[in-house]
Order: sequence, then C-alpha cells, then structure tokens
Amino acid sequence: MEESGGCGLSLICLTASSGVPLYSRSRGGIGRQLPFSVIGSLNGVHMFGNNLDVLLTATSTENTRVVWKSFHDSINLIVMSSEVDSSDLYLNRLLDNVFHAMVLVVGLEELVNIKNVERLKKDLRACYRLIDSFLTVSEKSGDLTQCVDCVVPYDGPILQECLDAFTHAAESNFGCLMAAGRVVVATEKWWRLAAQEVMLLAWLVASLALNSSRDYPVYLPHGSPTVPHRLLTFQLVPGVDVCVLCGPTPSLQKVETELVERYWRPLQDPVKACLRVQLRSFPASFPLHQGILGLLLINREQKKGVYTVQAQQAEDKQQGVSLSLEQRRAALRAFYTLAVSQYFPSEQGDEKKGKAASKLE
Amino acid sequence: MSLRGVETLQVRGLQPEEPPDSGSSYSSSESDDLEPEWIDSVQKNGELFYLELSEGEEETLLSFNSSLPSINHVRFCENEAEVIEESQQKRDKKVEPRLKIINKILKKKVLTQKHSIKKGSGRRAEQISGPTSILKHESSLKSGVVVQRYRDVCLYVNPDRLPDSAGQQLCLLQALVGIVHQTSLNSRRVEKQSSDGGPVSWNSEEKLVVHGLVPGSTAIKSGQIMIGDALVAVNDVEVNSENIERVLSCVPGPMQLKLTFETSFLEPDGGSQFKYKQAPPSMNNLIKLLWGEDNSDLQLAIQGIPHIAMFLTLKLDSEISKEEQEILYQYPVSEESQKLKSVRGIFLTLSDMLQNLTGGRIISSSLILNGQLCHVAYWKEAEKLFLISLPAESVPLLQLKNMVADVVQTLKVMYGSLVSAFCRVENLHRLDHFFSLFFLRALQPARLNEYADLSAQQYDLSSRLFLDHTPGVRWLTLPNDIKIDIDTALSDLEAADFAELSEDYYGIRRLYMMLGSCLFYKGYLVCSHLPKEDVIDIARYCRHYCLLPLAAVQRIGQLVIWREVFLLHHCQPCMEGTTEGYREPDARYFLLIVGLKHFMLCVLLEAGGCTSKAIGNPGPDCIYVDQVKATLLGLEGIDLNIEERLGAAASPYLSCADWFLPSSRDKLDSLTTSPILSKFQMSNKGATSPASKKTLFSDSSSSLRTRKPSPTRNSGGSENSIEGPVDGFGLSPHSTPDLARKYYRRESQGSGGSDGSGGSGNIFKISRKKHTLPNPFNFGTMKKNLSEKETEELYNTVKLTSGPGNTLFHYITLETIHGIFISPTHRDVAQLSGSIHPQLIKNFHRCCLSIRSIFQEAMSKKTKKIPNIKSHSETRKTSSSLGLIKEHGVLFECFPENWTDQKKSPPTMTYWVVGRLFLHPQPQEFYVCFHDSVTEVAVELAFKLSFGIAT
Repeated sequence: MEESGGCGLSLICLTASSGVPLYSRSRGGIGRQLPFSVIGSLNGVHMFGNNLDVLLTATSTENTRVVWKSFHDSINLIVMSSEVDSSDLYLNRLLDNVFHAMVLVVGLEELVNIKNVERLKKDLRACYRLIDSFLTVSEKSGDLTQCVDCVVPYDGPILQECLDAFTHAAESNFGCLMAAGRVVVATEKWWRLAAQEVMLLAWLVASLALNSSRDYPVYLPHGSPTVPHRLLTFQLVPGVDVCVLCGPTPSLQKVETELVERYWRPLQDPVKACLRVQLRSFPASFPLHQGILGLLLINREQKKGVYTVQAQQAEDKQQGVSLSLEQRRAALRAFYTLAVSQYFPSEQGDEKKGKAASKLE
Repeated sequence: MSLRGVETLQVRGLQPEEPPDSGSSYSSSESDDLEPEWIDSVQKNGELFYLELSEGEEETLLSFNSSLPSINHVRFCENEAEVIEESQQKRDKKVEPRLKIINKILKKKVLTQKHSIKKGSGRRAEQISGPTSILKHESSLKSGVVVQRYRDVCLYVNPDRLPDSAGQQLCLLQALVGIVHQTSLNSRRVEKQSSDGGPVSWNSEEKLVVHGLVPGSTAIKSGQIMIGDALVAVNDVEVNSENIERVLSCVPGPMQLKLTFETSFLEPDGGSQFKYKQAPPSMNNLIKLLWGEDNSDLQLAIQGIPHIAMFLTLKLDSEISKEEQEILYQYPVSEESQKLKSVRGIFLTLSDMLQNLTGGRIISSSLILNGQLCHVAYWKEAEKLFLISLPAESVPLLQLKNMVADVVQTLKVMYGSLVSAFCRVENLHRLDHFFSLFFLRALQPARLNEYADLSAQQYDLSSRLFLDHTPGVRWLTLPNDIKIDIDTALSDLEAADFAELSEDYYGIRRLYMMLGSCLFYKGYLVCSHLPKEDVIDIARYCRHYCLLPLAAVQRIGQLVIWREVFLLHHCQPCMEGTTEGYREPDARYFLLIVGLKHFMLCVLLEAGGCTSKAIGNPGPDCIYVDQVKATLLGLEGIDLNIEERLGAAASPYLSCADWFLPSSRDKLDSLTTSPILSKFQMSNKGATSPASKKTLFSDSSSSLRTRKPSPTRNSGGSENSIEGPVDGFGLSPHSTPDLARKYYRRESQGSGGSDGSGGSGNIFKISRKKHTLPNPFNFGTMKKNLSEKETEELYNTVKLTSGPGNTLFHYITLETIHGIFISPTHRDVAQLSGSIHPQLIKNFHRCCLSIRSIFQEAMSKKTKKIPNIKSHSETRKTSSSLGLIKEHGVLFECFPENWTDQKKSPPTMTYWVVGRLFLHPQPQEFYVCFHDSVTEVAVELAFKLSFGIAT
C-alpha cells in the first residue's frame, strides 16, 4: 500500500512489568520500524505515570495520535497513528480488539502470567494474521463498530434451517455460516456469544489461510478465556465457510466426511448466492433511495450490523462525480466515528445510523 | 500608635497584588486636589485597574455583607502572632490606596506610616495596629487560655441622613452608628479591663465599651453588636473615646464602616486553631475577585478539583541543576495540583519526542487521575511548553483546547509574549490573579456571575461553554438611528479634536493617537470602530476579567482600565510583498477602558508613529480618560433606546420548546392567540402598508408567510438568493467606498434576478463601518421620535423558519469577518421560560461546540491538503475521510426532566441542531435549533438571518 511519508499506524505490544517488546505491527509509512528509543520512551512515560498513580491514556499532536492501554497489568498496548481519520475511538477499539484477539488465540492465562517471554513471543506469532487484518484497510466495519458484519441472504430461512440441523448433528449448539468474514446465518446460541467474540471469530476465519477444513483451538475472550474450545470450519464453496464451535467430540474427520456433504450438498445454489450478495450485503430486491451510496445499519440489541458502500445495484460508472469506494468507506467510517464519539458516548439510545453519504458534500 | 488607614468603598483601588507606588504618585496626589480618584491606583508600570460600583449597587452589596459576621479568631502565642501580623500587613497595603478623603484629613499619621513602609526596616515595629499591639502585649501570657476575640461588623452609615434636631450635643457615635457609650461613669471598669486585656498605650483615653444601643439605629438593626463589647477600630483605624468623634466626622458620605469589636472569653486549650478569615463571604464574588480581595472561600470550592496551569521549559541549564528548575510558572500550588505537577516529566518528554518524530506540535493528552479523567491541553512555543489541565467532567477536551489558545492569546496581548509574561518576577502576582480568575471561571462559573434572573443566568452559563472561546463578540443589532448617533459620538471622540488634545493648543506633539474605539452595553458590543482582530483581543481581555458580564448585571460607578497592550495584529511584521507600501508604525499601543453604568467604552491608543514616543511606563492621561468619560456621559440618554431594543420582542422570533410538547398541544393550538404571535400578525399587517422605510422587510416577511409550504421549492428559492444576496438591497447613500466595493463584488457574483429592487437601503445597516460623513446631529438629538419606533417593531418581528408556525428555538450566527456573533439576547431567552427550554439551550450550545470543532478540523485539513494536491492527489483522495464538512445536523429528542407521572411515558419533542459553514463570500458560521416538524434548509435560514437581520 503506497502512502505518502508520515502516514501510517504502528502497534506495539509490551509486557507491562519489564517493558520487553513482544511484537510490533504496522501499516503505512512511519513505524515500519519505530526506533527502539521511541518505543522505550513511549512505554517509559506510561510507566512513569503509572508509578505515580497517574494513568496516561492518550496524547495527540497536530498530526499524530498515541493511545496507551494496559490490560490486566500485564500487557501494554501502544498504538501510534498519523492517519487523518484515526480517531481516539477507533484506536481504543483497535487496541481492545487486538488484545482480545491475542486472548482468542493464546488464551488469557499465558498473557496474564508471563513465565517465558520468548515462548510467548513465539506463540503470539499465531495471531499476527488476525491482528494484521485489523490493521489493513478493510471492507468490513466490525473492527470499528465491534459488531459483526452480516449478509442478508436470499434464502435465509432455508440456510438457517440447514445450519441448525447441521450444528445439531455435530453435537453442538454453536454454528455459523460465513461469507468472506461476514455472518450469513448463525444458530441462536451463536448470537448469545459476546458481540466481540462473534466479531473476532468472523475475522479469524476470514484471516486464516484457505483450507477446505480446519480444527482450530480458540479461547473465547469473554466466555471462556482460559479453557479452549474447538472451532471446526469447512469450506463449502471458496469464500463461504460453515463453522461449528464444539468440545472434544466429534472429530473433524467425522464431521467432514459424514455431515458436510449430507447437509450442504443440496443447498449449493443458495450458498453460492451468498457470495454474490456479499458485496452489497443485502439482496437487490430491497428498495433503496437512489441517492444512498452506502449505509451502515446496526442492530444494537443483537450487536450486528449491515455495512455496504455499494448500495446501488447498477452503479453508473460513467458519472464522474460519484465517490470511489474507498472514499465512501472512509466517509462512512468517519461519520460513524463522529456520531458515536460525539453524540452517543454511552452505550445507550437506539438511534439509527446511516444514510450518511447523502448528507455530506 | 498609628492609624492603619481607613477603608472607604467610595474610593476603591484595585490591583491588590502590588503595593501602590508610594513615592511619586502619592506626593502628586497631595498637591492636586482636583485629580481623579483613580490616580492612586496606578501602578509602577503604568497599569491601572480601577473599579467602583454605583451607589445603589454598593448599598445592597454592602448590606448583604454586613449581615454575615466575620470573626477573627486570634490565639495568643508568640509565633502565631507573627502570622497574623503578616496577613494584616498585607491587608494594610490593600487598604491604603483606597483612602483618600479621610486620608487627607489624617494626613500626618498616615504619612508617617507610609514612610515606615517605604523604609521597610522597622516595618513590624511601626505597623502597630489595634489588634497586633494587643497581641504583643499578650504574648507574655500563657498560651491557649484567654482568647481575645475580634469581630468585624460592617454597617452602612449615611451622615447625610443625620437627624438635625439632635444637634451638637448628640455625639456622632450615637447619632451615626447608634452606639451609646458613657464616658466618665465607667472609667474604672474600663481601666480594669484594659489592664488585663488592652494595650498599655491607651493610658489617657478610655476604651469604647458599648453601654447601650440607640433604638432604630443601624447598630441595633444589624443585631451583631452586643452590649459589653468594646469598639477598638473603625475601618481599621484604632479608636478610643478621645478620637472617635474625630474619626467619625471624617465619614464623607454614605459608606460602609467596618467596626471591630473586642470580646474576651475563654476557650478550651485543645481545639483552638489559628483561624483567620478575612472577608465575609459575600454574594457578589465577582466584584470581590476583581477588587482582588481575599477569595479563599471561592478557592475552597474548587480545591478538590485537580487543575493546574504550568509553564515549563524544555531547555535546561545543565550547569546549575536545581530542583524543579524546569517549572517557570505554576498555579495553583495546592495538593491537588501536586500530582499533576509530579508527572510533568510526561508532558515534557511527550512534547519533545513526538515533535521530533512526527514534526507536529503536541496538542493534548488525557490522564486518569484518582479515577477521574483529566485532559491536558498544551501550547508549545519554541522551547517552552505551556499547559493547562482540567477534569473532563467540567471542561470537555474540545473546549479545553480552545481555552488554552484563548489564554495564550490573552497573555500575549497583555504582555507581548509568553516568555515575557511568565519569566518576569513582577508579573507573578498578576498571573496568580489571572489564573485564579481563569480557574474559577472554568470550574465554578455559576459563582461568578449572579444574574438577577435565573433563566438569564442559566442561559449565560450554557452559552458560555461555546461562546466564550469563539472568535467573536456578542453583537446587538440596533435600529439605524441609534447606531448613527453612537457612531457619531465615537467618531467625534476618535477625531480627538478637543482643545486640550490638539497639537496647536500646547505646541507639543500629542501623546497618543486614537486608533479606534468600541462600545459595549451590558456586555453586548453595540458599536466598533476597530479592526476585527483588535475587537476580539479587547473582548478577550474584558471577558477574562469578567467585565462584560459585570456591566450586564451591575451598574458600574466608574471603571478605568489602562494598560499597554501588544496587539498581534499590529505588532506582527508586515506581510511579505508589502515592503514598499504602508507599514505599521513602530509604535506602542495602550488600551483604555472606561466604564460607566452599563456602558463600557474601549479605546485603543497609539504612541509613537505620528505622535510622541511613549517613554517608560506611562500611566493613564487624565485628559484622555476625561474625554472618554465625557463621550460616555454624552451617550447617557441613549441607553433608554438600547433598553427599548433589548426589551422589544426577539428578532427573529423564538419559540419556547415547551409549546411543542404533545401534552401542551392545546397551548400550541392557541398559539395564534398568544400575545407574541398576534403581535407578529399585527406588525405583519402593518408591513403591507407601503411605508418607504418598511418596504424591504415587509417584502421579506410577507413573502415568507405566503411562501409555498413545500420545502424543496423553498430551498430552490434560497439557492437563488444566495447567489445574489444583495440584489434586493439598494446601496445606502451613506455607505463608504469600502462598503460599496464589498457589495459590488458580491453583486457581480450574483445571478441578478432581483425581486425587491424597490427596497430602500435605509434599513440595511451599514454603520458598523466607520462612516465619514459629518453628522449634523449632536447628543441632544439622540432621543428617538415616536414614528421610528414602529419601524423598529416591524424590524424586530421577522420569522426565520418556514411553515405556518414558528419553530425556531435558538440561533447563533458567527461572522468571522467582523469578529462578531449574534444570538438572542438574555432577555429574549428569559421571556421563554419553560421546563425543557433551558435544557434545550444547554444542549444546543454543547452541540454547537462539537459541530464547530468539526468545522475547524475540516478546515484545517483542507488548508493542509492544498500544497499536496498535485503530487498526491490520488492517495490523498483515498485517505481523506469526510472532506470539508459544510453542514452538520443532529436530531435530538427531549422530554421534561422531572417527570413524575409513572403511568404515562413522558411527552417527547424532537428538534434539530444544525450548523452550517460558509466560506464564500466571507467566512460565516451559523447554528440554529428548530423543531422537527418543518423541513428547514440551513442555507436559507442563514441567508435570512445574516442578510435580513444581522447586517
């Protein structure tokens, strides 16, 4: 990604007690390698304040923001961003997501009681892909809203029915059908997971390397941060996976050979249709005003959202005035950030957000 | 034995931090009996801050004071007695410059005291005052047994109202104060008392023991004077039976007397702690603050709140390493600020490191302190770092950033630069005063301004959040004729044609040139002949010292402020490319503010340039002060007209939010018959009559009413009108070439489809600009005749919103180009008292603050982007988020706060707050709050407001 100098975002993870850097990730220009002295002083001021009972949380300069966050008095995360649209809200949520992604992959126990720093460093490599997916500019909104992105499929009821039956057959209550990191349908129990877990699982599946099936241990950051569960995923068509969260049984082999074929073979067409609808997030049959370029609709009760910047079915490419997709995404995200940080600071109220683009010049 | 000075409130000096210049100014005051009262308050550096309330105000203020007793606890211990002495000495310094009349009469004594101060060596020895002398004597006693209690009682006395019949034989103590003291009878008792309690120095005179109180006198009314108390001092002048009559005869007129009584009683040893409360807690804290009196009770209120202002240096002298040498200035030095002070290393490191890394200056930080979120806003300049920290719950970060910029700006205007403000020792006390005011304003704004009207106060508090830090001054639109009168008066003053100021008269160069002036009435700017930057700087200064609200609430008896100012606008080196042309003269600038009643006239003077150079630190020149005062006196009649304008119905119309609650629907239905609306209709009817002056507004308002209800078509119409905004206005013959040019430009931009070409430009206000025409009117004709009142009423009844009913709740329009903003007056808002309306107004201002910050951010991004636009246009495009935000609207829903009915859900009302930014033809910001029921186009509202009313 080509960026002009000075634009970028870098993330540093350190142990709180000793200040040993565990890893650092970045996107964009600065901090591809932040100098060690800078990392040291960034962590130093935070520790200095901490010792005096003053907790430093954020600092901003004309073009840069730095946010510190400490988790369980054991892990410190520092993010430094010089991107125009990175707000305190976004950076705070980013750090929150990153930490819980670490929990998801390596478990809370290992992060809180660090015995061997070198080993932890090695273990944490496993979550680089997930963390990097938060850092790359994404087509999803879950990292910002902390609500999972959803796709409204054509044949929702059929898919739901099939998923319920499949999950039940796999001796589990937690099942989910995902298309490119967005939830198409999920079992009732799946929605009972914490909103952040649902989001993280979706991002995790999207970030993993392409495989026809996986058996991946996950620690649910809010549900069971210390005891791992098994996340079984099976690729139905490229881009569409069905996931089951289960205990020690059944084996991956058994589910893959016996159940996947049986349940999902008849539904090849609706599953493929999910891919088609995935970019727009909802079927073309929904009427929508011509002026709406993109929208973000959040169900705050169930913590899920629909997010698209390609709201119009047949986009008239000839019109030069229309904004590019990236611009729309940036605008919509910025608008969300603005609204949430200025007007909905507490997690209450049920205002619908959306239709942003039409209001802007 | 010496006198400690008599405090008179009639003649009250300011700037307590600094003892008055006891040398030259004092001796000059002796020689000249005619000179103004404020002359003694002038400080060494020429600055003057003199404030005196009008008589009526003072009486109420003082009588309030006197109702609260102040008690001085004094414990007799050797070491502690010294503490008391010091604090009293401090008080002495404050007191001294204030006396004048009594001073002169008791000149000799006071003079000896003054000299002793100047000498400084025998200070303590000669500073014997009543109480201290007692202490000295008592110090031999065993500590903690006998406690002498001193009590100050403030009484308001009026020698003019003395009963004449009583004549000479009635002594003044009895007649004036109402205390009966029988001289000879009780001499033995007194002797006894003084032998164990009083100073030895009272040998021949006896102590003034209260033997009785005169019925109906002020003394008995106060209820604080007990029989058996002994009067030891009057206004800190020690009294006894011998000199009391003389002292009381010096009371020049109605004033407050502070009587100090002594009572002895025993106190248990344990709990006796040294307490010293100086001033009684008074209602009017602002006045006390400005007078620089002790404000410990106010400080107490903000004590638990962490707050600090620091000025740090990044460059340390490595040679001399000293504790805390990086702190150049700090306020306050309290426990709460200690923690913030201790983490200054964070601030220094961050500001240095982040700047090196990213090249951007540090702006703000957030900290959690004792579980409380605090924000820190920085101002970095060269190697110096200025920062202010306040808790987030009292001051949001957005506002804090503005505040810091504001403080820095004010300090720069006052002292030239931050370094010169903070790094001079003599400024320390002034800065302490400055920041104590600042923090009180930020943390306890309600305690500073007491509006008589509760809703006006609420309005003031909620609007202060947003408006105090916008680059603008509250402007009051006035009818044309009043404006012209004021303009003329100010122009006459600025012309400086009076004999004493003319160069020919004395044959020497005049001292100052008047650059311009601006006039405030009750905190509203009514007229300005200064460039925008100067007005804003002056307003900033006035706002900081709470002068604007002061003038709004109280009648000022006399206010004279004089100080050198460093106006950035003038001091900045000229823009590049103008080296050939005009250059600002290398001059010094002085600000003179004179206040009288509700008026405040600020005059900017230039020394150097075409006038003689200022040498040293010149104090205010009497002639200039007198001239400004004369101008104000000349304007006196006009305040009635302004009051009338303030009292008139709001223009444009405002609705109260409560009318729109569903439960009060019936009220809404009857809105047509409500007095305000019917007034509106009436005036509208009147508007149709083709009076020449009325044409313009009748056009706009009637077309407003008859306009098609469809909002989309409305918006179309507004677009047109924005294109050619001035087409409807004929150019006034009074307009200056400058003005004409301005409108020409606008006109050339416009499309030309004018519809109200017949409108005469008379209503269109042009007088904000200096007008150069000689005016035939003089002060005598400033009274307005009746026929014009009608026009004014019409002028005042403009409805801003579309649709059949009026849905406008509130508005602010900020004209950056003129440095002013217009919003409903306090009285307008006070008229609309409702249960949810204050809530709405508060929310409106909070929302405006965030909208404005969005605008600012968007604008700064835009300007930053310009240089890069060619090389990085592609990447820039993708990384820019919202681009330039021009309009921002938020929909709110509100309901009555204390809804008691459990069964029904509270009624709700939804309203919009919309902000709109205009960059062309001139930067303007416009904020409006209206009911949800009507679709409004902000552009249209802004147009109507700014071209219909504001101008």
